[in-house]
Amino acid sequence: MNAPEMGISPVAARGIFFDGRTAARQEVAVELASAALRLRADDGTILAEWGYDELETLSAPDDVLRLGRAGNPSLARLEVKDPQLAAAIDERSAPVDRTGRIERRLRDKVIFWSVAATLSLVLVAVLGVPLLATALTPLVPYPLERKLGAAVASQARASLDNKRTGSAFECGNTENEHAGRAAFDKLLAQIEAAASLPWPLTVMIVRRPEANAITFPGGHIFVFEGLIKNADTPDELAGVLAHEVGHVAHHDGTRTVIQGAGLSLLFGVLLGDFVGGGAVILAAKTILRTSYSREVEAAADTYGVTLIARTGGDPRALGTILLRIAGTTHPGPKILADHPDTRDRVAAIEATATATPGARRALLDQTQWAALKAVCSRV
Amino acid sequence: MTILDATVPTAQTGMPVRSPMVRFLGRSGAFWRLLARGAVMLMFTLGIYRFWLTTDIRRYLWSSTEVAEESFEYTGTARELLLGFLIAIAVLVPLYSAFFLLTLTLGQIWSVLSIAALTFLGQYAVFRARRYRLTRTVYRGVRFHQTGSAWRYSVYAVLWWMLILLSLGIAYPFAQSQLERFKMRNTFFGSLAGRFDGSGWHLFVRGLVLWALAVVPFAIGAVATILAIDWNTLISAAPGDDKASWLENSGLAGAVVFAALTGLWLLLSFAVLYPAFQTMVLRWWVSGLRFGDIAVDSRLRMSQVFGVYARFLGYALVFTFVVSVALMIGALALAAVSRPLDASYKEIVTTLLVLGAYVASALGYSTIYQATVKLGLWRCVVETLDISNTAVLEHVTAAGEPASPVGEGLADALNVGGI
Repeated sequence: MNAPEMGISPVAARGIFFDGRTAARQEVAVELASAALRLRADDGTILAEWGYDELETLSAPDDVLRLGRAGNPSLARLEVKDPQLAAAIDERSAPVDRTGRIERRLRDKVIFWSVAATLSLVLVAVLGVPLLATALTPLVPYPLERKLGAAVASQARASLDNKRTGSAFECGNTENEHAGRAAFDKLLAQIEAAASLPWPLTVMIVRRPEANAITFPGGHIFVFEGLIKNADTPDELAGVLAHEVGHVAHHDGTRTVIQGAGLSLLFGVLLGDFVGGGAVILAAKTILRTSYSREVEAAADTYGVTLIARTGGDPRALGTILLRIAGTTHPGPKILADHPDTRDRVAAIEATATATPGARRALLDQTQWAALKAVCSRV
Repeated sequence: MTILDATVPTAQTGMPVRSPMVRFLGRSGAFWRLLARGAVMLMFTLGIYRFWLTTDIRRYLWSSTEVAEESFEYTGTARELLLGFLIAIAVLVPLYSAFFLLTLTLGQIWSVLSIAALTFLGQYAVFRARRYRLTRTVYRGVRFHQTGSAWRYSVYAVLWWMLILLSLGIAYPFAQSQLERFKMRNTFFGSLAGRFDGSGWHLFVRGLVLWALAVVPFAIGAVATILAIDWNTLISAAPGDDKASWLENSGLAGAVVFAALTGLWLLLSFAVLYPAFQTMVLRWWVSGLRFGDIAVDSRLRMSQVFGVYARFLGYALVFTFVVSVALMIGALALAAVSRPLDASYKEIVTTLLVLGAYVASALGYSTIYQATVKLGLWRCVVETLDISNTAVLEHVTAAGEPASPVGEGLADALNVGGI
């Protein structure tokens, strides 16, 4: 239509142009000038002149090169379907990314840094969160810790109480069980007096068959029926209770809650739960629990043994009952009888017990112990 | 009519070829590759990569959809989605903490209140996210945009959903038509205002049979279950009683049978009725969309939607088989390798492996779902569209500004996201 000017390359072909002001479709002649792409309407008017360095490749179907002008608030678009013209533009313009090579390089950077971020998050979760939880735990005011414990305990109760047994979840409330509860309270009072914690314990005996006890934040403790059934002497039960009091004294429950909240925040909120079910949090909690619980349990053991020695009970009884109930559930990792952890624990208990000699006396008399054994007899 | 029968022209040359008004241009192989790479990256970045994957998916779907020989363009970026997510975190973390503390100190009522607040916030996010997506959708050099208050939409939507629940689904067609009206009334392509012409009564009449098939047997089953139980015997039965006689006297055994039958029916009807329901709703929805004089009509057939789900089932079965075999081999190998290890290490290794398998299979199913159901439905809907009066497009002028991605971020954090 018009004679080639000086400096215009011989490549000239057709494209489709949208000026960004209306949605009208315009067929244009695309001229590859020396420094810019010139778009000319059929009547010869120049519709746009975009410098090669300002060009931007936009998302489009495979066989279309869709170009815009970078940083342009208007959405003017040029679409080129002719592969030869597209190649010629690509050749002249550095930012045009017809093959997606620039995009891929950027994407590799994204991938590298997201993997790096993930690694550092995992490191923080494994090393930082436990340290942070340990530092924060003493700062939690007691009333809050107490309320937190009550909330966690009521949640645990909801999952433990299957309500099908038809009797109350808590033992010691019926006529027949009162004597047992009184004996239990006597045992507890001796331990509590020896421990002289600055706050009271709230211990509930729960109707569950497992030989277990759980400590929640703020001095809330669940003692399972199965544990009382498995205890042969008052000292064994007292040993486990003293161990749990150790968890209370060390604020282990509160620290676990803070750790869990930290992990949930880190993985659940920051990363977003991308497969649902909090799988990553669950795994992180399991791993942390497994790797940190050994020290925590050992500390509670030492505390429990010295505490029992102070009440006049048998400090070795904790080791005896641990060996007996090994293989059933216990706070912390599952322990198997032949597992070195249990044997190590019992050996450590023996050693501590030997190092803390003290006068012995019976913690409960025969009738009281018999009543305590029947604390979950119902009726 | 002729559009459906016309063979799709292959290479486009300068000559105007008679081609359908609406086409889907994407190759599914490219989409599979994009999703598979995304799934691997999601796993290694614990989900951080999702902003990039979402953007890739939208770019693919938008640019593969062609109306009147021009494809759509998605101009949103992953960086914007990341920003939106960070804003959402900044808003939600204090909110979550406040609700947690309030529940702890002032009681359970606050946990109910927090659920209510998050429900409203979720619907707010849905509307804001729609605004973001629309303003990042460019067609022929002009962007879409959305006006209207997201809070008003949120109140509307929550009230309608409560009505749907209370009416056992009867209110659904009216809720959909009212909510869609609200959305489309506020939707613009440049200067061209959108609206929704679908009638709630239409959907109601068409859906009545489906509703009856799904809800009536369920209601009968539930009532039969409740009636079969002799509640007085059940409550008065002493806990120490013989369990067998207690089961028999209280009629629990019969109730369990009724409940199982009801559940089975629910499952079956869901598998059969859901694609039918989805076809009906999609067709009704698409056919009600209007932009100025531009009208849309859908010829979507039920068999197409069933086909989409059949493909999903096929792929999922093959994948399940492969995963089971891999798991069995993995378990055997693990047992052989980990025997001499310390038990706590064993627990850590097992946890990591189980988690890895879980994440891998969850991502696998999600990839299959997206590549078959999401893409399949999109393609079916696009390929069965008729659009009339597209000549109007020549006179549309640009309007609207790009909106902030905060809605997308909130929707992502609250798990109420759309596409």
